[in-house]
Amino acid sequence: MSAGGSGEAAGGMSHNTIIGLGLLGALIGIYAAHFLGSYASFLGGIGAIASILWGAESVRRVSSYGLGTGVPSIGMIALGMGVVAATFGLAVGGVAGPVIAVIFAALIGLLVGLLANTVLKMGIPIMVQSMAEISIAGTLTIIGLSVAMVGSFTFADVLTGVIATGYIAVIFIAGGLAILHPFNGNLGPDEKQDRTLTTAVEKGAITMIIAGIVAAVNAGASGALTIIIGVAIWYIAFSRFYKLVKRDSFSVVGTGLLPNEEELA
Amino acid sequence: MEPLTGMGVLALMGAAATIAGASEDLESDVGSQSNPNSQVQLAPQMMYPHRIYNKAISGEPPSNALMCAIGGTVATVLLGMNASVILALTIGSLVAAMIHGTFSVSSHLGRIASQNRFKQPLYLDIVKSHTPVIIAYSFITTICILVISYLMVVVLGHPFPLPLLAFIWGITIGAVGSSTGDVHYGAEREFQNVEFGSGLNASNSGNIVRKGESGVRNGYDNSWFCAKFGGPVTGIAFGMVVFLSGWITTVFDASKSAAMGWESVLAGVIIVIILAIWNRKIEVAARNAYGTYKEDQDAEVAA
Repeated sequence: MSAGGSGEAAGGMSHNTIIGLGLLGALIGIYAAHFLGSYASFLGGIGAIASILWGAESVRRVSSYGLGTGVPSIGMIALGMGVVAATFGLAVGGVAGPVIAVIFAALIGLLVGLLANTVLKMGIPIMVQSMAEISIAGTLTIIGLSVAMVGSFTFADVLTGVIATGYIAVIFIAGGLAILHPFNGNLGPDEKQDRTLTTAVEKGAITMIIAGIVAAVNAGASGALTIIIGVAIWYIAFSRFYKLVKRDSFSVVGTGLLPNEEELA
Repeated sequence: MEPLTGMGVLALMGAAATIAGASEDLESDVGSQSNPNSQVQLAPQMMYPHRIYNKAISGEPPSNALMCAIGGTVATVLLGMNASVILALTIGSLVAAMIHGTFSVSSHLGRIASQNRFKQPLYLDIVKSHTPVIIAYSFITTICILVISYLMVVVLGHPFPLPLLAFIWGITIGAVGSSTGDVHYGAEREFQNVEFGSGLNASNSGNIVRKGESGVRNGYDNSWFCAKFGGPVTGIAFGMVVFLSGWITTVFDASKSAAMGWESVLAGVIIVIILAIWNRKIEVAARNAYGTYKEDQDAEVAA
């Protein structure tokens, strides 16, 4: 159940598996891209896809409580909290930057979740946990894409290569839409978890391609490799998404007139 | 900079903004994004299956910010490789428009598939015919926004980098398009089967007009209708936003003295006050010309 629903979202893959996949996948990707040299910078993009997957699942879970038009706002708040946590973590943390950013993001998310439930009285039971998850996913998406762009998460590199150049804007909006769009684009009573998460991977691959385009002018990162792998992931994910759409649709027709009342009954 | 050069650049930006505003609104109308989308989404549930594109990427501000930020990013990368300005802005807009196309397709396919229980069919010809139109409109919007942002950075010397400016203008054009043009489609076009100005009665929810001037109505018909008023009006609104917000700082240049800066703020406040009074006068004139709502009249008669 989703659109206008009021219960917890169900799905084939357990939520804890996705948390593990997102958190570990993103951190491993970010650290590998940082330490393994310029050719490994695409791993930052893979890490970002893992965190986007997690973020999209968290949005799906919290939005199933009848959030409706609030879905895009949740995605935007994820990256809003993420920008603060990521810059803070990388600025003070040094080599432990991403881990500190994750901890800080969890604290911001908990605070925002508590405010949403106590002050705004939204009364969503999983709000506090979901906000923390969405905040961490947004933070890891930002760091992952930054590493894919400049090849390192050293604060000086990120500051000159990502923030001062304005590329942080595209990370913010592309990462945010990759987290919010999968559920928003699949909204409806027959929404399925695998289709939504496949959309998340497909949109994550697009953010990876964009990061690869930026990496093309940075010596520390490999643009071509990131773009090629991003396009390959996008193609596989989109093909799977289309298969799932054909599986889930009532009928797929080339063209046709509207069904009449007898057919609808 | 010479004030006259500044005004010339501003006029060019205003012209680009007017085109961008019109194409932005028509782009959202072909796919029924934003305001009209809730009724397109609701229709199958109320037993009104349709052949209208359901482009629920997100609200218009984020989706336009996305394509403009991508365009600005790709253009900046190409400019860094010493590509010519026109080539850089064109390829940037092309990449942005293609990515916008993938978002449009995934939202339409995804939302229709999630309406299985209401027996809404997925018409592939709608996807194949409408997506290129959406891509084309979004290309025009993005390149106009990039022209505005590029002129601001290079000629007017704005301190923000190109991707960030494009992002901000993307949010702005999405907000203007969402609030100005969509009403024309969402409140009028979708409910041409009820009396003009009657508002949306709850019992009419989802009962959108699905038969066209010829055949079954689709997004093309809606953009044809909106191109008569909603699109141009959005263009004028966004053109005015870009022109007037630039005009006050071009005429009263804050970089010359602090007093000039305050004069520009004052000029902005005066413009806002004039527009507010003007809007109020239009509303009162319309209310006098078309009268109160039918319900209110009935209530008066009964009393």
